[in-house]
Amino acid sequence: MAVPPSSLEKQFDAFRVQLEQSGKLRDQIRSVVSEIESSTRLIYATLLLVHQSRPTPELLEKAKSQVNVLKEQYKQLAEVLGGSPGQYHRYHGDWRSETQTVVSMLTFMHWLETGSLLEHKEAEEKLGLNSDFGLDVEDYLIGVCFMSNELPRYVVNQVTAGDYDCPRKVLKFLTDLHAAFRMLNLRNDFLRKKFDGMKYDLRKVEEVYYDVKIRGLTPNGEPVHDLETKES
Amino acid sequence: MASKPQRLHQIAGTNFQSSAKRVRTMATSTAIEPAMKDAFTRYAEYLNDLNDKRERVVKASRDVTMNSKKVIFQVHRMSKSNKVEVLEKAEKDLAAVTDQYVSRLVKELQGTDFWKLRRAYSPGIQEYVEAATFCCFCKNGTLLKLDEINKTLLPLSDPSLHPLQINVLDYLLGLADLTGELMRLAIGRISDGELEFAEKICRFVRDIYRELTLVVPHMDDSSDMKTKMDVMLQSVIKIENACFSVHVRGSEYIPLLGSNDPSSFLVGVPDIEL
Repeated sequence: MAVPPSSLEKQFDAFRVQLEQSGKLRDQIRSVVSEIESSTRLIYATLLLVHQSRPTPELLEKAKSQVNVLKEQYKQLAEVLGGSPGQYHRYHGDWRSETQTVVSMLTFMHWLETGSLLEHKEAEEKLGLNSDFGLDVEDYLIGVCFMSNELPRYVVNQVTAGDYDCPRKVLKFLTDLHAAFRMLNLRNDFLRKKFDGMKYDLRKVEEVYYDVKIRGLTPNGEPVHDLETKES
Repeated sequence: MASKPQRLHQIAGTNFQSSAKRVRTMATSTAIEPAMKDAFTRYAEYLNDLNDKRERVVKASRDVTMNSKKVIFQVHRMSKSNKVEVLEKAEKDLAAVTDQYVSRLVKELQGTDFWKLRRAYSPGIQEYVEAATFCCFCKNGTLLKLDEINKTLLPLSDPSLHPLQINVLDYLLGLADLTGELMRLAIGRISDGELEFAEKICRFVRDIYRELTLVVPHMDDSSDMKTKMDVMLQSVIKIENACFSVHVRGSEYIPLLGSNDPSSFLVGVPDIEL
């Protein structure tokens, strides 16, 4: 008996239609993601000025207005995906790395402003995301690792500009962050690799701290252990 | 200086140390800030749960693969004389795979996003699709459709929990592997003298290959599928060559067909690599 070709063809025709639709959706996603990427680049360019000792509050103000644009774009992205519930993870790869960069910007800004780490929930809020269209925890953590990569350069330039207290603050923060990351059981994946790189940031900051300290360049000449006891 | 923080849990009392050591102490002795610690405790919990789940899904998927392979081997055991029994057993085995192993996978995946863990279960599902479609073709001569497979998965758990439904991509990847098995089957059938069956397989595989060429470019991640398409074309060509050999030189083999030594049938057919 021959295979009834019509039923076979029918199924494959349906597949083709289905796959073409998901291809179209993917194109839509990509166009929003490329907008997100260019907004992120603007924020990055703004934040780069901290290395040139521009007044931080001014820069943050500018960057924050750009974050609002990002928020709008994530809303668009959520709307594009709204038509296909339960498919978030099918397309997740399309905005993954861009979102990691976004997180690194947000956490860096937050750190510049408050000296503390922007938590996952807070990052989600800043981008206007919710449980329907959320921020993947792994993306968040990878973004935090990217942020850590930015800190050694910041410290070097701050010291050059005469802020001798900066290394201590950064070292404290980065030490905490590194210790916190060690609480996680990571798989042999990208996040693990990024976390492994964090220790080089830490080392670089330790070196700067040491260089500054051994030359007696501490702010107000205060002994270090006093500062520490205040901290803890 | 370059030491990694090793003494995280040291208490604050260690601050009275020689100044040479102070830098290092600073980097290692402070307790993590409580807010950060709380947050990372939550992330750790999330990652642990996710990894455990992934691990369980991978295990379940591996069992599905293993047992689906056994079904495929069972189908290959058929010959002209025992077709009915062999296929009956294969079907029974397949049903057992569904009930025992696929259902476990379905239960593990319950309530999670199928796409999130797809990479963990995709190999098992592909193999299962291969086994199910292979059985169906040998029995009915038709292609088992995705909807039909998915229908058999529905009763594996409470329908309100949205049990796993195989997605188009995994189905197509499974079909691509099916053609390899069909090629082996066709060669086996020819050596068993079942020319007609071999020709039927040939038509079927050609149809699938042709349909897939139209669908593959639209697939999400088609690189994997493209290699499979190349392999599939090789399978089609192998079957065609085998059919050709028999067709052209068939008359020379007729006496052999009646003999009890089917393996000698292919001697002298150099184009066929098994």
